Amino acid sequence: MAVKIMLNFTPEERKVALFVLSLGLAGLILNSLAKLNCRISGIVYPQIQLARLNINQVTLAELTRTKCVPEKLAQRIIEYRNLQHEFVSLDELKEVKGVGRKRFEKLKEIFFIE
Amino acid sequence: MKRLLTGLAVCYGLGIILNGFFRLNFWLILGAAIAVLVWAGLVFRNKYLSLILILFLALLSGCLNLANSARLSKCHIRNFMIYKNNPVYRVSGFIASMPELKNGQQWFTLQTQEVQADKLKYNCCGKLLIKMDFEQALNYGDNLTLTGSLKRLPGFNSSSRSYRDFLARKGIYLIMPVKDSRQIILRSGASGSALIRNCFRLRVYLEQIISRYLPPLPASILSAMVLGQKRNLPRLVNENMVKSGTVHILVVSGFNVGIVAFIADLLLKILRLRRKLRFIVTASCLLVYCLVTGATNPVIRATVMGIIFLSAYFLKRDPDIYNSLMAAALFILAFDPLQLFDIGFQLSFISVLAIVYFYPKFEALICLKNCRIKVLKFIIAGCLVSFSAWLGTVLIIALNFRIIAPVTVLANMIIVPLATLITLCGFTLVLSGLLYPDLAYFFSQPTSVLINLLLNINQALVKLPLAYIYF
Repeated sequence: MAVKIMLNFTPEERKVALFVLSLGLAGLILNSLAKLNCRISGIVYPQIQLARLNINQVTLAELTRTKCVPEKLAQRIIEYRNLQHEFVSLDELKEVKGVGRKRFEKLKEIFFIE
Repeated sequence: MKRLLTGLAVCYGLGIILNGFFRLNFWLILGAAIAVLVWAGLVFRNKYLSLILILFLALLSGCLNLANSARLSKCHIRNFMIYKNNPVYRVSGFIASMPELKNGQQWFTLQTQEVQADKLKYNCCGKLLIKMDFEQALNYGDNLTLTGSLKRLPGFNSSSRSYRDFLARKGIYLIMPVKDSRQIILRSGASGSALIRNCFRLRVYLEQIISRYLPPLPASILSAMVLGQKRNLPRLVNENMVKSGTVHILVVSGFNVGIVAFIADLLLKILRLRRKLRFIVTASCLLVYCLVTGATNPVIRATVMGIIFLSAYFLKRDPDIYNSLMAAALFILAFDPLQLFDIGFQLSFISVLAIVYFYPKFEALICLKNCRIKVLKFIIAGCLVSFSAWLGTVLIIALNFRIIAPVTVLANMIIVPLATLITLCGFTLVLSGLLYPDLAYFFSQPTSVLINLLLNINQALVKLPLAYIYF
């Protein structure tokens, strides 16, 4: 009787149990795969390129298309990179004309350096 | 009339639009409304005439509510602003929103209580936007006294979607920049609602759980999807989602509210609570979730709809989707009629309305019910839902954001099921983080994989030729 009550799950409860168990199982598999092969972390965790632009590789067209940087400023950033040298640190963005403290804080969220 | 609530909501909305264009006098509308009310009372036995008068009264109520919302109280902080010599004000009040950090600046709204200018103190009301150039540990409800100058809000552009108009719709007309920590005095005690304060605390705690188990990028996306917190979301990700027409997955929607209701109901069922008590507790959970996520329009809509569906059991009546949707609209517009002109409100309701209206028609058109292959049926149904929502919102999006994204239908077909799965994983992660943290680590990895997949698919879709067109 006790077993019967214990297993008396509604279809929804069974679905939830199945979902949680399969999620845990998937986590376990990924965890053990990560121990075997370090490259697996590339599949597990999103790469930074998905959320930011590489400041030393981005083209003017790409930068303008993102709508995150005004067109004139995008031109100045690319010009600075071409005329001076590749960016070593994001702090160098402060040297570009038109980049103040506020703008720099915004730009920091858009670019990364590899 | 079968759908009286729908009729009332439509008339009420028309009243708001009418007064939005013609700016009718408050007292004039009030007089007309009283006259119609008396007339409706007198002809109550006449079914059709009284119905027409009730609908007309709803229209006048819409006009009246908008006219009333445009009238500021005499003690509103805006009325104390002196435009000459830019004097220094001393404003006391409490924090009425969760302080947010943006680009190194801290922003929040202050519910004002007292203002002092030129050695004269006045009691005041209304909200004030505070911009602090430094970071300080502040919370909702903290009592503050601020010293500084008051400024009118910048417009940024001349269109009707300017920043100034956006904030005016929220009842904010002035800003106080605070540049030095000496300008701010934190007084003892706390004001505001204890429920909201605790809900904000819960949100912070849940955000901490998410960021404990996931790296920053997936954590920011999951926080947006589960808790409606977009402040850490990278701009590029948001921009790509806008381009593919899938940015709606990054806000808390009816689906999330449905999951919360389901989880609450399931846990209470396990505790063997009676059905009526279970429904009351579930409705309370929905309210708490609504507050935790910041009570945005889609959440309020879904919460009201959810509560109506739950209360249908008590009233022993079948819930009607149109009526419940319109009840949600009436609920929001009764508090704030200006929301009707808010793009988020329009998109939230029109997308649901379009799905509810178009989907059954498309389904009947292609005889989907006769399809026997379950997988194919599921895929086609997904396409139709996406297409219905797109059809309903395409004009508003094109007019307001100047973007047409033909990739939207395809993107939604792929991304929405994936987002659904991520949301489910997110809730499982948060719940396990609360109840059994050791297990949460195992749930975090599949969640991260799915978020990674979502971002990659979205980026690939955006790169397709003619995926989106700005005009």
